[in-house]
Amino acid sequence: MTLTASGKRDLRQELEAILGSGAVLSDPDELLVYESDGLTLFRALADFVVFPTSAEHVSAIVKLANREKLPFVARGAGTGLSGGCLPTEGGIVISLMRMNRVLEVDYDNQIAVVEPGLVNLHLSWKVGPRGYYYAPDPSSQQACTIGGNIANNSGGPHTLKYGVTTNHVLGLEVVMPDGEVVWLGGKTRDACGYDLAGVFVGSEGTFGIATKIVVRILKKPQAVKTVLAVFDEIDRASEAVSAVIGRGLVPAAMEMIDHLTIQAVEDAFGCGYPRDAAAALLIELDGLAVGMEAQAERIVAACREAGAREIRTARTESERLLLWKGRKSAFGAYGRISPAYMVMDGVIPRTKLPYVLHRVNEIVAAAGLRVGNVFHAGDGNLHPNLLYDPRKPGDEARVVAAGAEIMKVCAEVGGSISGEHGIGLEKSDFMPFIFSAADLAFMHRLKDAFNPTGLCNPGKIFPTKKSCGEVGPVAYRPHPIEEKGLAQRF
Amino acid sequence: MPDALLDKLRATVGTQYVLTGVELSPYVIEGRTPEAAVFPGSVDEVAAVIGLAADAARPVTPWGGGTAASVGMPAAPAGLVLGLRRLSRLLEHEPGDLTASVEAGMTVEAFQTALRGRGQWVSLDPADARLATLGGVLATNASGPRRHLYGTARDLLIGVTVVTADGTVVRGGGKVVKNVAGYDLPKLFVGSYGTLGVIVEATVKLRPLPDHERLVCIPFDRLKDAGAAVRALLASDLIPNAIELLDAPAGAALGAESPALVVGFDGLREQVDWQCAELTRLAVACGGREGRPLPDDTWPRLETAARAAFPAAAAVMSFSVLPSQVADLMEQGAGGARARGLTSAWAAHAGVGVVRAAVGSDVRPKEPSAIAAVLREWREQARAGGGHGTLEWAPLAVKSQVPVWDDPAAAGRIMERIKAQLDPRNILNPGRFVAGI
Repeated sequence: MTLTASGKRDLRQELEAILGSGAVLSDPDELLVYESDGLTLFRALADFVVFPTSAEHVSAIVKLANREKLPFVARGAGTGLSGGCLPTEGGIVISLMRMNRVLEVDYDNQIAVVEPGLVNLHLSWKVGPRGYYYAPDPSSQQACTIGGNIANNSGGPHTLKYGVTTNHVLGLEVVMPDGEVVWLGGKTRDACGYDLAGVFVGSEGTFGIATKIVVRILKKPQAVKTVLAVFDEIDRASEAVSAVIGRGLVPAAMEMIDHLTIQAVEDAFGCGYPRDAAAALLIELDGLAVGMEAQAERIVAACREAGAREIRTARTESERLLLWKGRKSAFGAYGRISPAYMVMDGVIPRTKLPYVLHRVNEIVAAAGLRVGNVFHAGDGNLHPNLLYDPRKPGDEARVVAAGAEIMKVCAEVGGSISGEHGIGLEKSDFMPFIFSAADLAFMHRLKDAFNPTGLCNPGKIFPTKKSCGEVGPVAYRPHPIEEKGLAQRF
Repeated sequence: MPDALLDKLRATVGTQYVLTGVELSPYVIEGRTPEAAVFPGSVDEVAAVIGLAADAARPVTPWGGGTAASVGMPAAPAGLVLGLRRLSRLLEHEPGDLTASVEAGMTVEAFQTALRGRGQWVSLDPADARLATLGGVLATNASGPRRHLYGTARDLLIGVTVVTADGTVVRGGGKVVKNVAGYDLPKLFVGSYGTLGVIVEATVKLRPLPDHERLVCIPFDRLKDAGAAVRALLASDLIPNAIELLDAPAGAALGAESPALVVGFDGLREQVDWQCAELTRLAVACGGREGRPLPDDTWPRLETAARAAFPAAAAVMSFSVLPSQVADLMEQGAGGARARGLTSAWAAHAGVGVVRAAVGSDVRPKEPSAIAAVLREWREQARAGGGHGTLEWAPLAVKSQVPVWDDPAAAGRIMERIKAQLDPRNILNPGRFVAGI
């Protein structure tokens, strides 16, 4: 619903009565900061952005929103890459950035209780001195929050061995879409009844707002070994990925970086990747010191057999960190070679890597664009980064169209349209690539059990009515870039 | 059951696959005989059978190997048993992808055998692998000792196909190991006891078979000291794949005369050797005696060690608590039983806080209320530390006094709403599960 000017003034007063002054934004200039997330193609303005500091605050805001029939959406650091935290229908953005404490660390039981606005890496900093860490490590971990990781079920390079966010969450205190505060799961391993914590993680903020999160913390491995395998042909690198797995090894991480990305990274940081390589695999083993050499030898042998021209081993921790800097900073490095890029996120069975990378290159070339690939090769999670110039007319539209084509290829080989970035706004209309109308209708019924009014983060995940008549009360709204004729939905 | 419905079922799956009358004896639960047992041969037939049952408002009890058939309250109206044993094919196994898709009625043992032939396994080791089906293991969230390192079904199931309460085929997740598209339906179905849909196909993550695996038993004079050794082990650099804590009666069933810590390791031989040596050092410092390796056939007996302590246990309860509370719960629980003149046996996956206790069958007089009283007391102990208890097995006379499932508190209302959304006519395993679902 649209608020009148006086209605908005009254509501601001009520919000300030709940939160105190300095915790409510409603001035359009201030709201502008919150109009998009890490995917800047999509923008939407809220009526309010609020900064609660407790579950009671969040509950009171949600109840107020329900009374006023205003949509609301939780937001962490805004590093998301699918428009998942955008207020597509206006309303209230609930920023959790002031709820950023580590509430409890129980080393005996290897769990921590944290607030949703805690920055991912800060948890590992907190427990690091005692020899522990938090395993899920998205590339944005210096900025992204654990609450945002919950919404998207975020992964990262080391999820190959250690699993994604959901494998590390035991329980959550949640403000339900009607304002009720409920614990889903708890500190113990097995749920009593349905695994609601498991169902909540990855629900992209449509099932409620987590206000406390119980996560597992892991002992740091005794030893780590990082190798860089360099290839003259990208196909050889792709084949090496399956060859390593075929030797009965599950490395902690296995990342691929292609030629274009190596150029960008070397321009920006000089991490020591060979500039003339077609692709490099960054492979990390961790675990016991005993046997580490023997395992590394198996990896080296598998890579050589697949045609690696050179294999380097990080000899010191600083060499290791430099190799990882190249990987984790690749996205930023694209700034050296392109004014803008759009990161795609798709998953394929890893044995299909050679074929799919070819198809990606064909699609991008046909669109007259460039692509840099840097991704989690070990679990088949692709990240083609489509480089473009937003000032060039038609470039953005071509990027969006090529992205859709790439997603179709992922679906065709039995993969998925998102491995870790979420569906959000960006890919809701791609959902029929991999799910039937019956699948989506079933998911919508599940959503109705949590979020019957639909006020909690509307407009996400499910296809718009335009493309799928069966589903949902979500109203289709053209995005500004569509209105400008820059893109169309699929 | 009306003859018309039986005729339709026979026409759907074939006459020989609809059992009635005396043929139903293997499917009698708690003295309740189903009206028919139906064995569809395809996903479409499962959908058709559920559609017929839904139209006739007959409850449906999905049935894999029947190994968990007595868990939960039996459905009040008996309805149809829906057997999945004919859906037993391995659909797809691509070793390079470390995934496999399988029909729900395949037994765990048959699945593992097929995978082992290609150097891989699914890291699930529930009891009764010869009978238990993969679909049943997922629906009941069954697990075993190796869950310590490799997690449970929720960590392994990446895709699921179910037939819903209205006979629709629905898929969730996918075939790739990393996937966040759509809601996580695999998590919804793991441990849902067939109350939200019937699992017909599953795709799971696999692991390469380790080079070596060894199980070591370290006897202790006192359970308390074994508990301290568990804490030291968890804080060490070792990477065990199982940490089992057994009291004397449960230990005796495995050939240990005293409380024992049983630890598993896998990996390269040098890794296993080094860890076994470290374990001994660490355990001896806590009061343990010299460790000895156990034969490989001990593995499948660990999950049922508490129950196996008695010729026929009078009740079995499982608990999920914090790992640090395990030894205390075991000691206090056994003491509570003794104080009431009952014997008990206790075994735990100690590193993950999953404890199982059996009440002895030597109860005299076999008075359900005495057994019920001790079960309630145990559950209260688990709850006091933030955990919960499930009455895994007991005669109906005991179950009627002690709820099978613990109270899920406020989350129970969300569970009820999910059930109402997904099975509005309440035909899938009605009344069997948590919160009366």
